[in-house]
Amino acid sequence: MKAALLGLCPAPGAVYQLGTRCLVWEHQAVLLLEFARSRGLLPAELLAAAGFSSMPSLLSPQQLLDLLAALQAQLQAPDTAFVLGQLSLPGHAGLASHALAQARNGRQALELLAAHSARLSPLLTPRLLWHEDELLLIWTEACGVGAAQRNFVVDMQMSAVTALCQWLGGRRLPWRYSFNRSRPRDLSQHAVFLGADLQFDCQVDAMRVPAACLDEPWPRGVADSMAAQALAQGADPGAAGRGLLAALYDHLLPRLREAPTLEQSAQAFGVSSATFKRHLAQHGTHFQAQLDQVRTHWALYLLLLQGQSHERVAQALGFHDRSNFRRSFKRWTGLVPSLLA
Amino acid sequence: MLISPLLKALQPVPQAPVLGLAHFGHLLALLMAGLMAAFAWGGEAKPLQDWRWMDVAGEGGMVLMAAIWITQLRSSRPGGRVTSWLCLGLAGILLGEWVDVLDEFWRLPKAVVWDNWLESGMTPLGMLVLTIGLQHWREEERALSAQLLKRERLIREHRSFDAITQLGDADYLARQIALEQRREGQSGAALLMLSLDGFDSVAREHGLAEADRLLQAAGHLLILNLRPEDLLCRYAGDRFALLMPGAGPALAAQTAGHLQQALGGLAHHSRQGQRIQRPARVVWSAVDPEEPGAQQPLHLAARL
Repeated sequence: MKAALLGLCPAPGAVYQLGTRCLVWEHQAVLLLEFARSRGLLPAELLAAAGFSSMPSLLSPQQLLDLLAALQAQLQAPDTAFVLGQLSLPGHAGLASHALAQARNGRQALELLAAHSARLSPLLTPRLLWHEDELLLIWTEACGVGAAQRNFVVDMQMSAVTALCQWLGGRRLPWRYSFNRSRPRDLSQHAVFLGADLQFDCQVDAMRVPAACLDEPWPRGVADSMAAQALAQGADPGAAGRGLLAALYDHLLPRLREAPTLEQSAQAFGVSSATFKRHLAQHGTHFQAQLDQVRTHWALYLLLLQGQSHERVAQALGFHDRSNFRRSFKRWTGLVPSLLA
Repeated sequence: MLISPLLKALQPVPQAPVLGLAHFGHLLALLMAGLMAAFAWGGEAKPLQDWRWMDVAGEGGMVLMAAIWITQLRSSRPGGRVTSWLCLGLAGILLGEWVDVLDEFWRLPKAVVWDNWLESGMTPLGMLVLTIGLQHWREEERALSAQLLKRERLIREHRSFDAITQLGDADYLARQIALEQRREGQSGAALLMLSLDGFDSVAREHGLAEADRLLQAAGHLLILNLRPEDLLCRYAGDRFALLMPGAGPALAAQTAGHLQQALGGLAHHSRQGQRIQRPARVVWSAVDPEEPGAQQPLHLAARL
């Protein structure tokens, strides 16, 4: 259980918000402009459509989302998210990208990705859950993505990891995908860019693969990569940053048994309750929604993967009795826990 | 937010020439002004109480609509014979109606007959010319359809065309499979799917623009190798789907082998002069008469 927690929540880093200017222009935005150009959309047109008056040296996650929305609206192509994702990793985000390109195998690559997501996946935070002989890669919001863009960003990041492993590993891994949305009418892009094993109407956006596949050595791997060592020594402190919602997730997950409150969490983040409330509202959410999400994920883990009894799960989530837990679980997921087990 | 698309819509769009005249619209406006001057000069203005507002609105609306149709036609079509016929026809209708409108404001002396002549002559003449234009248009459509052969069948849907290869997309394919299933007396059909091995590395090594050009080349090449009744679509990514109506297993297998060889032999040259050649993969199956059209390509995609 301890090990599972460790993979899901890597070492804490500086917290960034939706409006924090923390993304280097050359890291993500340049890729978008290059993609737009190759599809016949001039960079100036894209910037104008996204409401930019000039090219900033640093941009906020919100601005990156604005650029993505403009790109999606201007191109009107069904494959934008997938092709963009394919090209986005290892990427051009300095040390983190170098280390990723030199990863010895899939396991190291995914660990680098999870630990340095502020550089490699700033909008959606990847979390690793090693369970028996399988790895689950769970995507949670870093600092809020509007409902209109959520599917786009999830598709993009899933395509990014899939293509990264295929490109550096030299073969397609047998990923299985679950999506927290209803089944779309047209599955052609998902089927071609991701794979055939797609499940919809799930509680989480996640992908899973046999762990053994991730231990196969990658042909381009470098045994003691200088970049990975430098990163481990903290050469790029910004890479360990966490989005506000991801940081809150990290904070809540180990404390679920104690039924954490807004006040306690605000204190841990060093702000007043009112300020914390306002920050969460700016990210399109509120404390209870975030707490419920973490509890849902953990309950699913304990019920489905650990096969624990309802009493123990209720206890682990800070409920006093089983029926309370059952009622809440029904409210979060629309399902009765006994149907799952 | 609402203003900018509106402004965009009002921006002048390039207009096709009519009879080689780039300023056909201005000429038309000049003719209308001339007619108005002739009425004002030769006629007697009707007093306000004699104006029949219903007629003014109805006939004026016709003039306005004809003007809009001419503008839309000229902005959406290249210049040429068909465009000229259609525009001249509409211009005739517009002028006839214009005389009708002017008639509401000025009364010409009984001795003057040219206005009656214009009023009852121009509109039918315009309609005749427009009809001839439409006939030419039909011939043009037939010629264009021959060019689009193997890219579209039975229905046209411009929103379903892929911007890179100009082929139909997965949605178009699904509807075509459904049409094929509904056709009576059909002796089955086959569905093929082709892909380029290692296509994902092309974008990484040569850039996305080069990858898109390779897809274009592959699309052209495949089209050249098809029967007239076949339909080629770009399914997604580097997957091309081919619907072969009436094809049995023997023909499908033979075509699969042939196309695999052709695609694998394609040597695309990048703008930097590098040679890009990738082996092709192909799978095929008979079209299931029961299963939904969107499902069948998914099985093929999983096998590739």
